[in-house]
Amino acid sequence: MTAASVPAAAGPVVTGLAVRSVRRGTAVVTVLAAALPALVAVQFRRLDQALAGPSLAALAENPAIRTLFGPPVALDDVGGFTVWRTGTPVLVLVGTWAALTASRVTRGEEEAGRWDLLLGGRTRLPEVVLRHLAVTAGAAALAGVAVTAGLLLAGTAVSGAVLFGALVAGTGACGAALGALAGQLLAERRAAAGAAVGVLLTGLLLRMVADGVPALAWLHWLGPFGLLSRSAPYADDAVVPVLLLAAADVGLAAAAWWVAGRRDVGGAPLRRTGAVRARSLRSLAALAVRRVRRPVLAWGAGLAAYFLLIGVLATTMTEFLAENADFADLAAQAGFAGLETVSGYVSALLALLALPVGAFVAGRVADTAADEVAGRLALVHGLPVSRVRWLATDLSAVAAGAVLLVVLAGAATWVGAATVGAGLTSGEALAGALNVLPVVALCLGAAVVALAWAPGAVLPLGSLPAVGGYLLLVLADTLGWPGWVRGISPFAHLAGVPAVPPDVPGLVGMLVLAAVLTAAGAVGYARRDLRG
Amino acid sequence: MSSPTAVPALRVEHLSKRFGRAVAVDDVSLSVPPGEVFGFLGPNGAGKSTTIRMVLGLLRPTGGSVAVFGVPADDVGRAHRHLAYVPADVALWPWLTGRECLDLLAGVGPGTDLDYRAELVERFALDPDRRARAYSTGNRQKVALVAAFATRAPLLVLDEPTSGLDPLMEREFRRCVAEAAGRGQAVFLSSHQLGEVEAVCSRVGILRGGRLVEVAGLPDLRRLRRSELDVTLAEPAGAALADVEGVEDLRWRSPVELTMTLSGPPGPVLRALARLEVVSLVVREPSLEELFLDFYGDTVSPRPGASV
Repeated sequence: MTAASVPAAAGPVVTGLAVRSVRRGTAVVTVLAAALPALVAVQFRRLDQALAGPSLAALAENPAIRTLFGPPVALDDVGGFTVWRTGTPVLVLVGTWAALTASRVTRGEEEAGRWDLLLGGRTRLPEVVLRHLAVTAGAAALAGVAVTAGLLLAGTAVSGAVLFGALVAGTGACGAALGALAGQLLAERRAAAGAAVGVLLTGLLLRMVADGVPALAWLHWLGPFGLLSRSAPYADDAVVPVLLLAAADVGLAAAAWWVAGRRDVGGAPLRRTGAVRARSLRSLAALAVRRVRRPVLAWGAGLAAYFLLIGVLATTMTEFLAENADFADLAAQAGFAGLETVSGYVSALLALLALPVGAFVAGRVADTAADEVAGRLALVHGLPVSRVRWLATDLSAVAAGAVLLVVLAGAATWVGAATVGAGLTSGEALAGALNVLPVVALCLGAAVVALAWAPGAVLPLGSLPAVGGYLLLVLADTLGWPGWVRGISPFAHLAGVPAVPPDVPGLVGMLVLAAVLTAAGAVGYARRDLRG
Repeated sequence: MSSPTAVPALRVEHLSKRFGRAVAVDDVSLSVPPGEVFGFLGPNGAGKSTTIRMVLGLLRPTGGSVAVFGVPADDVGRAHRHLAYVPADVALWPWLTGRECLDLLAGVGPGTDLDYRAELVERFALDPDRRARAYSTGNRQKVALVAAFATRAPLLVLDEPTSGLDPLMEREFRRCVAEAAGRGQAVFLSSHQLGEVEAVCSRVGILRGGRLVEVAGLPDLRRLRRSELDVTLAEPAGAALADVEGVEDLRWRSPVELTMTLSGPPGPVLRALARLEVVSLVVREPSLEELFLDFYGDTVSPRPGASV
C-alpha cells in the first residue's frame, strides 16, 4: 500500500481553485482596463492641441458629460485628460466585474452545492470565503497594475499613473469585498450580485450629487468614484483618499469574514421568511413573466433613482453654463449648440439609458443560458412546446420588461425635472427614453445570437452593442477617429431626442438589424444540442 | 419486431451521437410497442441519458432517427404530445413552489388527470407548498414523477427516476409504473438498478459503451441473474452440495465455510441446506456491473443483430 499523500496545508489548494475560477475574466478585464486609458493617452498626444483645445473644453463643459465623468481637472495634461475621460468607465468596469465575480465564486458556488464538497475537507467556511475574496481582489489589483503600466508606457507622470492604478485596484477590491459580503448576508447569488453592484454604483450617484450640489460636496468621501475626484491624479495627486479606500476595503472584507464565521453553510442571516403565497402558474407566458419580474423591479428601482437625480440636477448643471457665457459660446462654435438647455442635457443623458437596459436584456438571455446548463429547462423542453415558441415567449417578456424600464426612466427624469421646475414636458422625457429602444433591441439580437452559437458568452456579447458601442463613440469623438469607425457604434445613429428630432432611418436600420439577428439566433438555438 | 401494422410508441433506428471524437451512442436500434414497460439498462456513462436526450429532441443525432408514435423526435411540438419526461437530475427554479411547478407542467403538458395527481401527491408524501429551494433531491424527483405519472401521455420516458428515492417511495414508484402499464401507457425506463428493472419491466435492453449489447425479455433476464451465497456450517459437511441444481462455482474457504454462485430458483439449494446444521446464511446479489463483467468481460464485443 502506498502512503496517502497529504498536502501540508489545505489553504493553498483552495486558493488554486479560486484562481482557476477567475482567471479568464481577469485576463479580459485587465487587458480592457489597461488598454482604454493607454489608448486615450497615446491618441491625445497626436491631437492638434490648437484645433482640439476649444472643442475639448466645450465637450468638458457639456453638463451631461460633466454629470457622467465629473468636473475636468488638468485637461491640458495627458494624464489628467485621460483620467477624466476614462476614470469613471474603468472604475465601473473593474468594480462591477469584481462584485459580480466575488458573488459568483462565493455564494454562487455555495448555492450550487459545490462548497459542501470543499467544506467536507479540512478548510472552514470563513477561510474559504476569505481566500476567494483575496484572489478576486488580487485580480483587481492586477488590473490596477496594468493601468499604471499602460499609462507609464504612454509617457504620463509617474505619481499620477501610480495613484490612478491604485484607485482602480482599490475600487475593484471594494467591488469584490461588497460581493463577498453580500454573498454572506444573502442566500441567493442573484440577490447578492444585485445588492453588491447596487451599493457600488450608488457611489456613482453620490459623486454626481456631490458635484452638482456644493453643500453636499462631502458625499465625495462615501464612495470610490468620489474618492477618485478628491484624489485627482495628475492634478492634486492626493494620497489620503486612496488610503481611505484601502481601509474601507479591509473593513468590508473583515465584515464578510465575520459573518461567514457565524452562519450555516447554505444559509444566510438575511433570508426571506414568511408564508409562501400560492399563485397560479399555468402557462409559459406566466413563467416568462415570473422570470423577469424580480430583475425588472431591481433594475427599475436603480434606474428610477438615477434618472430622478438626473432630472433634479437639470437646472443646476445648465445654470452653470448659463452663468459662464464664454463656455456656451465656445460650445456653439465647436458645434455643440444647445447643450446649455435642459432638453440638450436630458437628451445626452437619456441616450445612456441604452447601457443599463441593454445589460438587463443581455442578462436575462444569459439567465436562460444558465438555466439550460443547470438543467432547469429539461422539464420545459419535455413539454409539447417547440424551442422557438419557448424562446419567443421568454423574449417577449424580456422585451416588455425593457420597454417598462425605459418608460420608467423617462418618467423619473420628468418627475425630477418637474420638481425643480426645469420646464421639461413628460412627452419630451418619454420620447428621449424610448429613443434608445433600437439599441436595446440590438443587444437582444446579439444576445440571442450568442445563445445559439456562444452560449457561454451571452452577457458580454449581448451587452456589446450598448457598452462597446458607447465606448467606441466616446473614443471616436474624443480622438477624432474617422467617420466610418464612429459609424459602427449604434449611438452614432441615435439623434439627441428630445433636443432634436429622431433619426428615423437610423432607428429603422437598427430595428431591422436587430430583427435579423434575433431570427437567426432563434433558428440556431432551435437547431443546436441543448446543454446540461 | 413488434407487429408491423401498429405504430410503435418509440422507434429508434441506427441512432448515433458523437461529441467531437468521442462516440457516446453507436448505432442503437430498438422499438417499444404501445403499452410495454421497457427497461433501459447500463452502467454509468453507457449512453443512456444521451439516448434519452435524443429521444426528447434535446440533442440532435449524428446519425439515425427517433420517432415517437411515428412523429420524428425533432418535431418537438407534436412528438411531445405523446410523452411525459422525468430527467435524471431534476432541477427546478428555486423560487417556484412544488405546486407551481406541477401547475405549469400540467398547464402546458399533454393533458393531466388532476384527481389522480392529487392522489399521487398524497402517495408520494410530497409537500407541494414549499419552494423548490427547500426540496431535497428526492423531493424534486417526486415533483417530476407526480407530474409525469399524472399525465395521460401514452409514453412515459423516465431517466433513472428513483436514484434519490427512499425504499418506501421506490415501492410507490413501482406501483405507479404498474398502474400506468395497466392503463396502456408505454414506459421507457432507464436505470442501473437491476432489481427495479426486474420488478417492473417486461423487456430490457442493455447498453454498454454506447452500443446495445443485449435486448431480452424478462425470463431471459432472470437467467442472467445470479446470486452469491456465503454459508457457515456447525460441522464439516463434505461434498453434500456439489451436485445441487443451480449451484456453480462452489468454493470451501474452510471445512465449515463455503461460498457458491446460484443461478435459477433457490429451492433446491435451500432444501439441501435444510439437511445441514447452518449457523449463518448470507445471500448477496451481484451488482449489474458484476454481471456485465461476468457476461461480457472488460472489453465488450456487441453481438451482431442485437437490435429488435
